[in-house]
Amino acid sequence: MSWVTIIWSMTASACLTLAAIHLLVWCQRRAVWADLLFALAATGTAGLAFCELAMMRAETPGQFATALRWFHLPGWVIIVAVVAFVRLFLEAGRPWLAWSVCALRTVALFLNFTVGDNLNFRSVEGLRSIRLFGESVSIAEGVPNPCMLVAQFGMVLIVIFTVDAAITVWRRGNRRLALTVGGGIVFVALVGLSQGVLRFWGVVHAPITASLSFTVLVVAMGYELSRETLRAARLSEELRDSEARLTLAAEAAGFGVWMWTVDTNTVWGSERWLRLFGFAPDANVSFEQAIQRIHPDDRERVKSAIRLAMETRAGYGVDYRVVLPDRSVRWIAALGRLYAAAGGKPARMLGAAVDITERKQAEQDLLQQRNELAHLSRVTTVSALSGSLAHELNQPLGIILSNAQAAQELLQQDPPVLTDVREILADIVAADRRAAEIIQRLRALLKRDETSRQPLSLNEILDVVLRLVRVDLIDRGITSVCDLAPDLPPITGDRVQLQQLALNLILNAADAMAVNAPGTRRLHITTSRQPNAVRATVRDEGPGLPADSEVLFQPFFTTKPHGLGMGLAICRTIVAAHQGRLWAEPHPAQGAIFHFELPVAEEGAGRERGARDAREEAPAYGQ
Amino acid sequence: MANDPPPGTVFLLDDEPEMVKALTRLLRANQFEVRGFTSVRAFLEACQPQELACLVLDVAMPELDGLELQQRLTHRGMAIPIIFLTGHGDIPMSVRAIKAGATDFLTKPVDGAELLRAVRAALQTAHTRHEARAGIAALAARLATLTPREREVMEHVVAGRLNKQIAADLGTGEQNIKLHRAHLMQKMAVASLADLVRAAERLGVGRSGER
Repeated sequence: MSWVTIIWSMTASACLTLAAIHLLVWCQRRAVWADLLFALAATGTAGLAFCELAMMRAETPGQFATALRWFHLPGWVIIVAVVAFVRLFLEAGRPWLAWSVCALRTVALFLNFTVGDNLNFRSVEGLRSIRLFGESVSIAEGVPNPCMLVAQFGMVLIVIFTVDAAITVWRRGNRRLALTVGGGIVFVALVGLSQGVLRFWGVVHAPITASLSFTVLVVAMGYELSRETLRAARLSEELRDSEARLTLAAEAAGFGVWMWTVDTNTVWGSERWLRLFGFAPDANVSFEQAIQRIHPDDRERVKSAIRLAMETRAGYGVDYRVVLPDRSVRWIAALGRLYAAAGGKPARMLGAAVDITERKQAEQDLLQQRNELAHLSRVTTVSALSGSLAHELNQPLGIILSNAQAAQELLQQDPPVLTDVREILADIVAADRRAAEIIQRLRALLKRDETSRQPLSLNEILDVVLRLVRVDLIDRGITSVCDLAPDLPPITGDRVQLQQLALNLILNAADAMAVNAPGTRRLHITTSRQPNAVRATVRDEGPGLPADSEVLFQPFFTTKPHGLGMGLAICRTIVAAHQGRLWAEPHPAQGAIFHFELPVAEEGAGRERGARDAREEAPAYGQ
Repeated sequence: MANDPPPGTVFLLDDEPEMVKALTRLLRANQFEVRGFTSVRAFLEACQPQELACLVLDVAMPELDGLELQQRLTHRGMAIPIIFLTGHGDIPMSVRAIKAGATDFLTKPVDGAELLRAVRAALQTAHTRHEARAGIAALAARLATLTPREREVMEHVVAGRLNKQIAADLGTGEQNIKLHRAHLMQKMAVASLADLVRAAERLGVGRSGER
């Protein structure tokens, strides 16, 4: 076998092998077009090598002319593939130049098949034998084809296009890539161009060896591509590592990690997550299956939180119960985040879940204790008020009795005086209603019930409480001065708890002024609008506050001989449960000021809320 | 009602108009003359000194306590009997009320018959006081007609001294004293020494001499 055959065949087969490898790679990941383009370029180079071999081995001018004609087809494939490679892989080069190169090459290919024997020769007249690597190969002699200039001009454009692209890549900082790929292309183009010109003018007599220079380019491109592939592999390994670390950290913290892929509707879960939801360690879980595990009372809430997160792209956070296959119920706190695909469509939701059953249990116990304590404190407060309440009730009862007895007297007279009786009866009815209202109010205050939230008016709450304590204040010689801001926005809360809050603060203020001389016991109650909140202020003119007013709010702190020391602690708890704040400060002149602020009710409060709210409101659901 | 109410006005003072209305109706139905008020100031403006009246007062008025009102009434020379009404009759409150000059102390809801009895009694007291006040006024007028000498003699007489002793004290004759004594007995319209002493006591004459 001759050297020429060996070199050209090996070049072709090497290129074909590379092409096959990258074609396979491309089949695996269709999105990476560079692999396909590389495969095309490599195949084209192999094609060039075969055509060149055929030309060197040609025995008649006809054979040579045919081989040279077909030579331009792989040549076209390579040029187009390389230009596309520069555009896609290097992400550089001016598009209009790229299109011009491809168009010129296409015109050249067209001319190759239509004008003369081929693009190089109008007609191949004869063959000449020259020595190459110690053996004789054929080269052609004939009339050159002027159309070849189109191809030559195309080569010049390629050089311009590539240099421009390489400069862009170089400036971007990727100098090696600019040199290998850019340099490779320029080298091939210049070699091809110079060979063509020299041959055209008959300066040299040599066979066409473009495939050899193209192989250099293919190797340069292949090198860059494999570096990229290696980098991707390393990245994915690092990603796997970091994923493993994350999962490990999550597991260590007791979190289960989950990921919901929206397209396939599957939920991948870490081992712990699968265990939290009562799935087998290797189970494939669909979104519906996961939802099915959620307690029926919580399901809709979770679904709407997910919907909301998908609509608003906000974080997702919900507490809910899951029912395990053994029918046991666990509380789960889940957090999540939505990741959108390139088009902005929700693609995946990633999050963590943790078992909070014990915390929930503790919370419920605490809530119950708080409710009981609050109830106890209400009962104590109300029994302290019983005198005033008796008066409050006796007033309408007295009105009823006196009216009724007046009517009796009028009816007994001879003749009965009926004129006033109708009015008297109306007054009796009104007074009876009033008594019923008082009892209703008292019963509401004493009722031991779960908290309920509704829109409320702060002024109304203060008004009701002031009416309850009115007589008590009078008995203690206290005058109340009210300044309630009109048109306060509503707040959301529990009526009884807020009444208790106001009652405690007012009675505290009243207690504080017991040491004052009569006539100097003034209680000031004001309400005002604050940014996003409403504020109530209760001020007394008593001896004032301890230096550190925060100790007041600690449980069992009291300055009263018979105080339980729970009043202000309960007030704090109530305010905190309403997302508000309660604080005390001394009045510059005399006495103490207690403020509490409650957030203004949101628009449409009470209806379906945002994910955050749903989380905070969790215990109130399902009632 | 069988028996007519004693003369006089019943003042009602309660901060609740409905209560005032109801009590007014009850008392009017029983032929009492009633004037109701919901504020202390209005009451004080309307109430005349020397008026024959009693007051039904709600203890739990925001503006004042009973003691204070009592003081203000006394200050204006109006010692009218007060019936206190209260929602809850605890001991400190009744003590306060009695100190404030309550003639009666009733708890709400107050029974009509009880209130009528109390009002009747209070008006009776007012009447008696009124009568007493009227008697003293007459006596004082008589006292004013005495000459200084006669008044001097009267002071000695009610102090229990004999004519002879008085004559010696004043440096005059016993006959003169007898004459003055006869005149002043006549002017004071008393028949006996005992009557004179009683009149002097009511007027507060003679006590200063002993001090």
